[in-house]
Amino acid sequence: MNNNLKWLSLVLMSSMLVLSACSGGSGSAGGSAEPTPSNEPSGGGETAEQPKKEPVTIEFMGHGNPNEKKIFEQLIASFEKKYTHVKVKYTSVPPGEYGQKLTTLVSSGKAPDVFYVGGSEFYRFAESGILMNLQAQLDQTDLFNPDNVWKQALDRYRYDGSTVGTGDIYGLPKDVGPWAFVYNKDLFDKAGIAPPPARAGEWTWDDMLEAAKAITADNNGDGKTDVFGVGAYNLESAVWGNGGDFLDSTTGTVTIDKPEFYEAMQFAADLNLVHKVSPNQEAEQAMNAYTRFVNGQMGMFAMGPWDQPAFWDLPFGWDIAAWPASPNTGKTATWLGSMGFAVSAKTKHVEEAFNLAAFLSLDEEGQRQNYQLGQAVPNLIDMANGEFLAYEKAPANRQVFLDIIQDYGRTDLPARSKDNQWLDTFWQEASKVWNGEMSAKDWTAMMQPKLQELYDKGNK
Amino acid sequence: MKNKLPGYRKKELWWIYSFVLPPVLGFLIFGLAPILYSIYMSFHHWDMLSPPEWIGLANYVDLLKDEKFYKSIFNTFYLLLGIPIGMVVSLLLAILMNRKLKGISVMRTIYYLPVISPIIAVSLLWQWILNKDYGLLNNFLWQLFGIEGPNWLGEADWVKPSLILIGLWGGVGGTMVLYLAGLQSISSTYYEAAEIDGAGGWQKLKTITIPLLTPIHFFVVVMGVIGTFQSFSQIYVLAVDGGPEYSGATIVYYIFQNAFAYFNMGYASAGAWVLGLIIFLITLVQFKLSDRWVYQE
Repeated sequence: MNNNLKWLSLVLMSSMLVLSACSGGSGSAGGSAEPTPSNEPSGGGETAEQPKKEPVTIEFMGHGNPNEKKIFEQLIASFEKKYTHVKVKYTSVPPGEYGQKLTTLVSSGKAPDVFYVGGSEFYRFAESGILMNLQAQLDQTDLFNPDNVWKQALDRYRYDGSTVGTGDIYGLPKDVGPWAFVYNKDLFDKAGIAPPPARAGEWTWDDMLEAAKAITADNNGDGKTDVFGVGAYNLESAVWGNGGDFLDSTTGTVTIDKPEFYEAMQFAADLNLVHKVSPNQEAEQAMNAYTRFVNGQMGMFAMGPWDQPAFWDLPFGWDIAAWPASPNTGKTATWLGSMGFAVSAKTKHVEEAFNLAAFLSLDEEGQRQNYQLGQAVPNLIDMANGEFLAYEKAPANRQVFLDIIQDYGRTDLPARSKDNQWLDTFWQEASKVWNGEMSAKDWTAMMQPKLQELYDKGNK
Repeated sequence: MKNKLPGYRKKELWWIYSFVLPPVLGFLIFGLAPILYSIYMSFHHWDMLSPPEWIGLANYVDLLKDEKFYKSIFNTFYLLLGIPIGMVVSLLLAILMNRKLKGISVMRTIYYLPVISPIIAVSLLWQWILNKDYGLLNNFLWQLFGIEGPNWLGEADWVKPSLILIGLWGGVGGTMVLYLAGLQSISSTYYEAAEIDGAGGWQKLKTITIPLLTPIHFFVVVMGVIGTFQSFSQIYVLAVDGGPEYSGATIVYYIFQNAFAYFNMGYASAGAWVLGLIIFLITLVQFKLSDRWVYQE
């Protein structure tokens, strides 16, 4: 039967060939720009000072809802009009799969030329040398004036070789997402109380609690609360406002066992446990708090600028306010999210890729569309302070968004560490506090060593 | 090339190999190669971005120290409870469906439907059924019995029972069909003989039906255990981040999270190999024990 063996070895041999061919292919960098005849620059669109350039194709990958996708398609079309020799290949993937897909592409050497980076991704990617340093491009660009971009937005994309937040620019902001305190005006009117003020520090936790008690109601007398005062209270806001923090970034210490932290956490838990003005932990899960607010069954809630389009359709009046300040410190805070555009370090078309990122990030017309469609606050300071503030649609207190960006917003937790297992574990286990099984003090004392170990494992 | 085979056999051989080659190639490239590579990777720290670094057995050591890993193993074993429950329900259904009645095939189809429904879509529906305030199930309990139902997917104690319930709904149809086939292969002479001896329905079930179905029981148990150990999709949808206090996470979910949320590919590979070992050992034990209870005709 040696014949069979021969066959088998042949099969094996050929498969090995195929395998080696497969692995050989990953060596070449992605984003190959094969000029296709179709994107030859049209002679008419050329201006005098623009020399005829080789046509190039740039790959751009992002994620987002259909609305966002539409905006980007328009933006890209106007970009291609401006730079006639460039063709952009745009892919939009579902947000949930984005990180997975991007990392897979990067690790197989097929990174798109321009792509979104957000949260802890930026940190990891900058550290691994995947992102292009844009500082040189930025210094000589005449496309925009960096002084007219929120410092808080640009700083998130700085990296100095070891930490994020200082050093050269490795990305441009797609947006900044101030997490604001939103309230249902009609419910406040009905309860006959003044709504929360827009200025930070004028309203404390106690004021908020009082208002929440006045709004909470059981309308049909079945013993179940129908309208809650407040929902999904922002723990970061409570902790930071109280002078505490989750993490000391300079030393890499998890600081949840400090009194400033657990007092704030207990306050957030007691909104339900003691005062019953907030739905309990089970009812609080993601969908419900949002649904309750949208149904007009919740007085105070939280929102980002991206929630505007959905809230514009609501049948009741609403507005945003400053997050309540801690009575112990008189200060308030909230988180500021952000997403950025990065350029792959392996791109073959540095200039074009940078121009695309800059255009998407800072093109005036694009920024205008973005805020008018309720996607984001403009990255351009003069636009944000000017036409954005004057825009007629809700919320009336748009200044609150800007206050958060300039004043009391802080980098959101996931963007502060490369590896967020410690943070995920925190949120997973926190239900023991929300449901009253343990006090915040005991729980944080118990969790600190565990979370510290997880933090060290992934970040040191 | 010396060949002792006659010409026509040689031709046949050629055909055989050319038919077998595509799947074999596919397996070698997309199956065996990654499997072998993952063994190699399990001794490395690899975040998919920087080159892998050799760390020896550290991944395995970390795994054995990781509380979440044990939690996910415990959760997975807990879900095994669904198998005996499922077997009882499926067998009863199969006996019910084993009648010559009008429209019985429609009934069988209805029970089989969940098996062919896409699991992600079904999980999304279950999410609504099990919702605490607006869910179908809790409203039903409240309206009919005045019971305030639990938060099925929001409380650590209820997540696993919910998952078992969903597993039952999705699994009994398939098992029922297997049992039906088994029931129809049992010769009626046994029952006739038993009736002559004066056996009642319960006795017939206990002494004829259940023992003669042991090969099917065995198949269902083995496949059920393997399937449970590999359950992932419904957890991915229903237990966000592994559910409250990580109570819904199975081993595969844990591996997935380490691979695609934290990008610890080496660590995830080590986890996958430990899982493979567990499944292998359990299945081995089952086969060893099967001689004692599985009736072979």
